[in-house]
Amino acid sequence: MGVRDELMEHVPRLRRYARALINNRDLADDLVQDTLERALRHTEKFQSGTDLRAWLFTIMHNVFANQARRAGVKAVHVSVDDENISEREFAVQGTQTQSLEMRDLDFALQRLPLDQRQVVLLVGLEEMSYADVAQALEIPIGTVMSRLSRGRERLRALMAGAQPGAKLQVVR
Amino acid sequence: MSDQQTPITEDEIHAYVDGSLAEHRREEIDRLLERDEALATKVSDYFSLNSMFHDRYDRVLSEPVPQRLLPPEPKRWRAAANWPQFAGMAAALVLGVGIGVAGMTGTMGHDTLMPGSGGGSVQRASYAVGESFARQSAIAHVMYAPEVMRPVEVGADREQELVQWISNRLGTDVRPPVLTRSGFELMGGRLLPGDDGPVAQFMYHDAKGERITLCISHRKISSDTTAFKLYQDGSVNVFYWIDGDFGYAVSGAIDRKVLLDLSHDVYSQLTAMGGAKAPSGASVSTQ
Repeated sequence: MGVRDELMEHVPRLRRYARALINNRDLADDLVQDTLERALRHTEKFQSGTDLRAWLFTIMHNVFANQARRAGVKAVHVSVDDENISEREFAVQGTQTQSLEMRDLDFALQRLPLDQRQVVLLVGLEEMSYADVAQALEIPIGTVMSRLSRGRERLRALMAGAQPGAKLQVVR
Repeated sequence: MSDQQTPITEDEIHAYVDGSLAEHRREEIDRLLERDEALATKVSDYFSLNSMFHDRYDRVLSEPVPQRLLPPEPKRWRAAANWPQFAGMAAALVLGVGIGVAGMTGTMGHDTLMPGSGGGSVQRASYAVGESFARQSAIAHVMYAPEVMRPVEVGADREQELVQWISNRLGTDVRPPVLTRSGFELMGGRLLPGDDGPVAQFMYHDAKGERITLCISHRKISSDTTAFKLYQDGSVNVFYWIDGDFGYAVSGAIDRKVLLDLSHDVYSQLTAMGGAKAPSGASVSTQ
């Protein structure tokens, strides 16, 4: 199977990760789109036999870093504008408590520094090995571990502090 | 932190949560968790975080992929998006194949090789055109694949000449894809007369001497990309598809799955550059 076909298989997971990272449907899909376009322009740079997923995440992070740089901090602290959608979905899926808890998660994640958020999500959501995360983010594995540790502790504190019913007005 | 006085490191706690810790260390942490309540809470929180990520975001996996995430060349991209369904489709086609073969035996008799069946065929729907192209490719495969003396007109040892000749005759740049990764070496190629002008036939063989052929036709009319279709004639399977003004058919008397993989390979190489070209880096080894 060629790189292009394999690429398509990764699209749903790229979207899931981007959504968790940015928490804004359109901007997350923009990021995936830019990632795919860049990957397609550079398929020859992909070394077959290596991990395509890690390669794609590397591209995504470079694209994202560029975008964030261009847009300033705002791109990182994008607000939760698909809140209405999620409420609708969770009305079907679960109880009100769960819904609040889930929104706490969105909120807490967005409060996490980007470098910690990336690692926490790649490990926890994408279930990547620490070595793959190091490869994808082009950082040493020790840095992966320290970001993971700080990120998880911070998330935990944020979640504990966010009381259901408390004002979860979203970052600007 | 509460676990600092223990020999277990922070990294190991995370590896424990993420399921990548060695068994004996895992057991040690299990024992520790029974004694150390703070650590137990922390570990449980970490587990919850991971499962909350999935609860919250896995729904994205089942969302339909929006059109704009389908690649820049819409026609080709749509076809690529269909790939994962091909395996299922090939299986589904097996039913239809029996009918196709039965219906075809009648025409087999008076169908000469790549007959120029007149302008009427150009008007037919692309599906029908594709099917007749597949049939012709199957016949051409049966004709030339067993050939001992002269299976190809120009051998792979004269690849430049082959490419030039075929490109000239088809009126477009045509390069045989490289299938060495799938275990097939280019033997060479020939030109055949087809409904829609000349058809290029490239022949490949594997280490066991099994031969497959790839037919490329440069069609006069352009149509939308079709999905892979399977055509079967006796022992010969043909996967064929239309992409704009090109028709492709991969034929072989080999396992259908292997042939499908080869077709994927052909497809991705030929579409990588657009049109009937392989990536420029993919020059054919003339070994």
